[in-house]
Amino acid sequence: MPHALTDHWKKFLVAGVVALAVVWCFAFNGVSHGDYRQGLSVLVGAMFWISILIGMLMLTMITRVFDAGWAPLIRRNWEHMLIALPILIIIGIAPLAFIPASRHLLWEWTNAAHVLPSGHMVGADPILQAKSWFLNENFFLARIALYTVIFGVLAVLLRRWSFAQDTDRTARHTHRLHAVSAVGIPLSAITLTMLAFDFLMALSYHWFSTMYGVWFFALSIRLALAATVILTYKLSNGGWLDGLLNQAHRHVLGCLMLAFTVFWAYISFSQYFLIYTANIPEETFWYNIREIDAVTGLKSEWWGVSMYMIFGFFFLPFLSLLPYRTKIVPGRLLTVAWIIVAGALADLWFNALPRQITQAGLTKFPEGFSVAPFLTSSLFLDLLAIIGFGAVVIAIFLWGASKNETIPVHDPRILESINYHE
Amino acid sequence: MNERNERIHGVACTFRQVSDVFHAAEQVRDAGWKNWDVHTPFPIHGMDQAMGLPRSPIPRLTLLGGITGFISGCLLTWYMNSYDYPLIVGGKPYWSVIFPFPVIYECTILFAAFGTFFGQFIFNRLPHHHHPLFDLPQFSRVSDDTFMIVLEARDPQFHLDESRNFLLSLGGQEITVIRD
Repeated sequence: MPHALTDHWKKFLVAGVVALAVVWCFAFNGVSHGDYRQGLSVLVGAMFWISILIGMLMLTMITRVFDAGWAPLIRRNWEHMLIALPILIIIGIAPLAFIPASRHLLWEWTNAAHVLPSGHMVGADPILQAKSWFLNENFFLARIALYTVIFGVLAVLLRRWSFAQDTDRTARHTHRLHAVSAVGIPLSAITLTMLAFDFLMALSYHWFSTMYGVWFFALSIRLALAATVILTYKLSNGGWLDGLLNQAHRHVLGCLMLAFTVFWAYISFSQYFLIYTANIPEETFWYNIREIDAVTGLKSEWWGVSMYMIFGFFFLPFLSLLPYRTKIVPGRLLTVAWIIVAGALADLWFNALPRQITQAGLTKFPEGFSVAPFLTSSLFLDLLAIIGFGAVVIAIFLWGASKNETIPVHDPRILESINYHE
Repeated sequence: MNERNERIHGVACTFRQVSDVFHAAEQVRDAGWKNWDVHTPFPIHGMDQAMGLPRSPIPRLTLLGGITGFISGCLLTWYMNSYDYPLIVGGKPYWSVIFPFPVIYECTILFAAFGTFFGQFIFNRLPHHHHPLFDLPQFSRVSDDTFMIVLEARDPQFHLDESRNFLLSLGGQEITVIRD
């Protein structure tokens, strides 16, 4: 008998489709007028949820491999959600990449006629030519298909065998899922690194950072844990985790949130620190356009976003999560989870939006370009895209929960998970 | 407290079942005892609450160590690079929070670890070479198949006969007086 909450999946699907229809209208309209910004709204909205889902995929496989005793109760909710990952790549990223007009606007390296700040064209750029074995359009599109297939197969296998255990009650599936996860973790690590390179780092193709994949992984796990805290909070107040989620589950989620807050800061700072120390122009420009207004030479809005990330996305969650009571009091943990969600959005904006804008009329500027501003009305379109993709993900989640058990009733560790103790 | 009690460490009482020792611990807690302990061959989930144990104070020392380390790291790098022997390296400022940050956070981690490690020694009262309980023949079975509750003589509620009767009323099996 499915839980009453799952009846709402159609409402979420309709809301999601309506919101995404509006966002896509704006995006196509923008693209047809040569404006990339509304297309970026789709990218940011899709990447926000792809990031959450990749984090949940990694957490599902990691808890499988380590045979985590606390996990089964919470992991079933990740499994319900996982199948949204390939779907989001198909409905969110693939149209942007496969339609030439939007591809050329969003990913400048695909547009040979695009003019760089130096006055040269992308087609004649020796930096791109040296990278063209990787950055060429056919391989780019093939990679997107490959990401969809890899994540799709992993999601299907992780779900199918876990659900099969509900009916045939054998431990065989647990061993199979061990094996799938052991192979899936390194495979997903490579896939998510390439995905972050393609969808975000290649937006500014002169720049490169070998830590980018690790940064994206850290961000994904932080977002996934925050989303899990919010989701389990809802589900333990009138959902199928009512009376099942206890203080120890919150404590373990809180500890993981603290650990990955530190890990994210470590990775993000290291990336900045190495580029700052080495001081090589082809690396530092990426941070310069995120700090200094290229026209006036003063601190820009992006500097404010960076400061928000240091204090609002690291110090605030870090210091809040240190005390034991933050991790066990439901309301406090929920507040920190929302702080992390807000900070992660700022981080995505910080990585996706700033770009050097070159136009014929802008050559009078000292650097030959201006930097895309942060505060524009398109931020609302970003939020609408996040809501739209989110509603689709929640619809898929509730639909999955209506078709299968909401608790893995025959998982060998389900009793250990329900009675989990600090 | 009479003179005889000064040479007594406390009263020990053995139990055979987890549920017995668990409920006995709850009753000792509710009776308001402060200086007492439960010894078991394996961890019993929920025993912290049954004994009414507060959270360990060690995390405070960790935090204190971390803050000390952070400040020492800042002072160390500022004193060396900016004050005692001002030196420009790689065109960076004499001192800012960015370039010496690895030094600063390593100091933070090191001192936080010191706080935890030495704090653990302080709160566990280590090193402690001997304990009166070790003289008790029954105590070796606490690492095998027996549970034990010890009421210590330094607790203000302790009175030899009353405490012995109290332990008997809790369902204890074998009551022994531990001498210092």
